[in-house]
Amino acid sequence: MGFSITLDGAAHEVEILELRPRLKLRIDGRAYTVTGEQQEEDGRHRLEIDGRPVSFARVHVGARQALRIDGRTFEAVLVDPRDEADAAAAGHDHVRAPMPGAVIQVHKRVGEPVSRGETLLTIESMKLQMALAAPRDGVLAELKRGVGETFDKDEIVAELEPLDRAGD
Amino acid sequence: MRRIQSLLTPSSAAFRANDAHNRRLVREFRDRQEAARHLRPQRDLDRLARQGKMLPRERVARLLDPGTPFLELSSLAANMAYGGESPSASTIVGIGIVSGREVIVRSDDPTVKGGAWYPLSIKKSVRALDIAIENRLPVIHLCDSAGGFLQLQSELFPDRHMAGRIFRNQSQLSKMGVKQLALVFGHCTAGGAYIPALSDYNVIVRGTGAVFLGGPPLVRAATGEDVGVEELGGADMHTSVSGVCDYPAETEIEAIHIGREIVAQWDRPRKWDCQREPVEPPAYDPEELYGILPDDIKRQFDMREIIARVVDGSRFHEYQPDYGRTLVCGFANIWGYKVGVLANNGVLFNDSSLKGAHFIELCNQNATPLVFLQNITGYMVGREYERRGITKDGAKMIMAQACSRVPKFTVMCNGSFGAGNYGMCGRAFDARFLFAWPNHQIGVMGGDQAANTLAEVKLNQMKRNGESVDQAEIDRVWGETRKAYQEQLSAYFSTSQLWDDGILDPVDTRNALGVAISASLNAPLPEPGYGVFRF
Repeated sequence: MGFSITLDGAAHEVEILELRPRLKLRIDGRAYTVTGEQQEEDGRHRLEIDGRPVSFARVHVGARQALRIDGRTFEAVLVDPRDEADAAAAGHDHVRAPMPGAVIQVHKRVGEPVSRGETLLTIESMKLQMALAAPRDGVLAELKRGVGETFDKDEIVAELEPLDRAGD
Repeated sequence: MRRIQSLLTPSSAAFRANDAHNRRLVREFRDRQEAARHLRPQRDLDRLARQGKMLPRERVARLLDPGTPFLELSSLAANMAYGGESPSASTIVGIGIVSGREVIVRSDDPTVKGGAWYPLSIKKSVRALDIAIENRLPVIHLCDSAGGFLQLQSELFPDRHMAGRIFRNQSQLSKMGVKQLALVFGHCTAGGAYIPALSDYNVIVRGTGAVFLGGPPLVRAATGEDVGVEELGGADMHTSVSGVCDYPAETEIEAIHIGREIVAQWDRPRKWDCQREPVEPPAYDPEELYGILPDDIKRQFDMREIIARVVDGSRFHEYQPDYGRTLVCGFANIWGYKVGVLANNGVLFNDSSLKGAHFIELCNQNATPLVFLQNITGYMVGREYERRGITKDGAKMIMAQACSRVPKFTVMCNGSFGAGNYGMCGRAFDARFLFAWPNHQIGVMGGDQAANTLAEVKLNQMKRNGESVDQAEIDRVWGETRKAYQEQLSAYFSTSQLWDDGILDPVDTRNALGVAISASLNAPLPEPGYGVFRF
């Protein structure tokens, strides 16, 4: 089983190779063996990594862990791969109509920079007004429907382009 | 589970406008609730004091375990009925903890017309006992009522869900082994006499408590017999001669003490084993709900923002995130209890209906309670959707939902119009609890559409009768119709009629659902089973 952890912001790939009889891990390509895990009465944890003794204290809040080792505090966070996938997928530039209807208000002009979540258009369908928001940061490249114009469900009504490509 | 990423901008003008609007609505709700709970004519308060009686809310407070939550239901029942003279429908109902047991409390309110039952008082009591039956919750009755409000007897006596239903429900509860205790603080006259008589245990207060089928005036009229209250149905007679009552008490406090001790003898229910996780408060401030709900019912908002401020850690496992996007479905925890959430993000289409039906089936197989967050204008209309069988797909969702075995909970977060109300577990579909927010509106269609339809009918009529119709007349008819209709759409009208179990400050939703889910687990979970889907 593999996962990634950020330690004070830097990403590390961790893979569990073996749990029993002793924990074997691969971290960023290098294998380690962990033995002698125990918790002291004062709450500190002790273990040996490749035979080298390590003592630390830890607390966790949600998915974040604060670790204190040799007088230094580190923050470790388990990375949810879906967050990375989201970041990668943030490239989609289409704004689609979730319902058939008509545009009743346009909030941005073509060429204007927009940030994720900002309202581009307000549409009305089945007597319901809905704000269509920018799916990512970028520049409004094209408005395919103006005020009063109608569209079908799932039709693309606006397009974004990345900030850095604007003006090319 | 992953945290919902909120896209709100609390600094925006829209957020601040919504926030101000909703805080105003909540303040109005709190004021109305405060008045219904405590505002009474001084002479009625003086009368109770002269009789040495506590106020009904004091009785409830003394009965409950100190420091435990009490979820009051339908505090604004009857607020738009009887010219407002029956606050909370003269009945206090709520779920609380007595001697460590979850119970439902049903109390008469002798500060209003001697505790007489109005038609809506009876509807509220029947609903309380329905809740007891559905959730196997023990009932504690605090009795102090002059009986049915005679002027309105035709609306409270004869029909299936009127007064007789209280006693029918009491009998059913007993058959199911759900316990009932009655504390008789005042008179239990006529039908009301059956409340202590049909309870497993009852306590009666000397001097003020009395139980009889006919009070002294009625007896005198019927048979000429002249008899006083104490002799006819007082505490000593019933606890030493007739055996109608079990325990006499000197004072109301003593009666409550005896009652608490009785409850302490009851076996503790074994709840079914709903999946639980460690409790985590929402990561986003629930007060931000005020900034999300629009100040115009027509304006849509993202239900994920609502979910993020109700569920544990704002964590949400969204099911089929890219399919049927107008219905958001997924798993979350509320006060640690695993639930399946269905929330409207627009009109229900074929795909969203099928997704809903499918998700409901999954939750039933997995024994996961369902939470419906309604903001629905209905199922999609139009030629294309009829040809695709929108009604057939809507029927699947309704069937899956109606035949669910798991407990269901509904929160009216905004609009609830048309058939969408059915698919999303409206009142007719036996949600264990159904709450509404102050901004809620409910009706077969929205205010503008209804006014258009009704005004058109009326104007056609006028034209047929040869009356002249000008634009001013059209506007007048439209405006009048709109106003009359609008009043009936409001959350206050809805809760007045007991179409819900009460209005909630949105911020309290998580707590209310926590109490409701916990209560629902007292009833055993039936085997899964479905009717036939029309595929």
